[in-house]
Amino acid sequence: MKGTRRKNGSVKTKHKIGTRKEWIAARLDLLRAEKELTRRSDELAKRRQELPWVKIDKEYRFETDEGKASLADLFKGRSQLLVYHFMFGPDYTAGCPSCSAIADGYNGVAVHLANHDVMFWTISRALLAKLQAYKKRMGWTFPWASSFGSDFNFDFAVGLTEKQQRDGGFEYNYNCEGPWEGAGEGATTFAAMSGTDPATYVRERPGMSAFALEDGIIYHTYSTYARGLDGLWGMYQWLDRAPKGRNETGVWWRHHDQY
Amino acid sequence: MKTAEMELNREVVSEAEWLVARKDLLTREKEFTRQRDVLSAARRQLPMVEVDKEYVFDGPNGKETLSDLFDGHSQLVVYHFMFGPNWEEGCKSCSYLADHFDGANWHLPHRDVSFVAISRAPLSKLQTYKKRMGWRFKWVSSAKSDFNFDYHVSFTAEDEEKNKAYYNYAESEYTNDELPGLSVFYKDDKGDVYHTYSTYARGLDTLVGAYNFLDLVPKGRDESNLDFTMEWVRRHDEY
Repeated sequence: MKGTRRKNGSVKTKHKIGTRKEWIAARLDLLRAEKELTRRSDELAKRRQELPWVKIDKEYRFETDEGKASLADLFKGRSQLLVYHFMFGPDYTAGCPSCSAIADGYNGVAVHLANHDVMFWTISRALLAKLQAYKKRMGWTFPWASSFGSDFNFDFAVGLTEKQQRDGGFEYNYNCEGPWEGAGEGATTFAAMSGTDPATYVRERPGMSAFALEDGIIYHTYSTYARGLDGLWGMYQWLDRAPKGRNETGVWWRHHDQY
Repeated sequence: MKTAEMELNREVVSEAEWLVARKDLLTREKEFTRQRDVLSAARRQLPMVEVDKEYVFDGPNGKETLSDLFDGHSQLVVYHFMFGPNWEEGCKSCSYLADHFDGANWHLPHRDVSFVAISRAPLSKLQTYKKRMGWRFKWVSSAKSDFNFDYHVSFTAEDEEKNKAYYNYAESEYTNDELPGLSVFYKDDKGDVYHTYSTYARGLDTLVGAYNFLDLVPKGRDESNLDFTMEWVRRHDEY
């Protein structure tokens, strides 16, 4: 799209205007491409289901609204468990704004999944009391557990130690990272909005993991990180259909009560 | 709840072996993400068509034109919510979708997008149902307008009689008086309004966040043994 940038970072569109007939021709062409992508997405989902499983031997403990829980307890009678790894470290005073925008999109989803054999939890390292207070502030209803004191976040590559940050060697999104070289503008802004410093902020990472429970044994089936979460970020799927698209040069989103 | 017995892949491997398979899949996922970005760019290249008809809706603030619905923004996204004049409740599947867009809509106005749901049921019905479901998005009635027919999401008695409907850019058999869709409009500096995009049927698929999550779990959408897609879905207060 050709356009000039306004001072708020928003694009001003310069767009071709056509007749309805011209539009339909272009739209039908795009429709073919959209259908092809939808089918590719179906294919990819099938490949995901074909991934082998890994047995989980370690015992993880969580704090929930109903008290202590094991990973098996989080299934609540379902055979599948989805975990959103929400960046909210023990030293944050508010949840990460990006994870919060993602959570705004999925808050309404958990009730549907729970009735389709999938229990959907959000898990963070902050103490439960902090998660509960923040959840109340944001008006969310999904279940949120604290993994404080557990290896869970570290084992599923969404939390790193100060040593890993300093020396490198942390594997995020299936890629080995070097020593931390300081935060960019986005991380600095969001660290401040989360009430912490950039180094502490980036020791938590966003991700999503899936597990299966069968005959009392838990299996890890899938994890995704970084732009692998893009399709789960509701607001982007809507913006992708607006004339200006995502319309961003940097980070523009805020906690929804901070606009 | 109807649960289907699914054939699951139960191959259990070591973490190292899993990682090999996962990295292979990651390459494909990244390729897909980039293809989606390319498609989104192509969508923005569509020409626009000027809207020269005057549409008037019943909204919470009284009569509102299509232009009014932009609410100070230059982009308007309309969700065509299936709720016909004689229906008692909104469509179950649209309600499921609404559970998603109500949250996304916290953020859309901050990228120059006004979001509105439009249905043919009278405003009082929309308001009662919205309250019951606890939603916040703006919802207006197109009861006295051609809007839904012009954007191919409502169908006439004549369509029913002839068993014909133009939907998702093709002639097909009549199925219902209302069908789901999404339309996008743009307003320029002079205040002229243009139609830029509409999508229907599975074109709405990626807007159903629950499906995007289900695409990541071992059983996937788990609908192949059901009589129809979304058979398992209920209004969120009916589970």
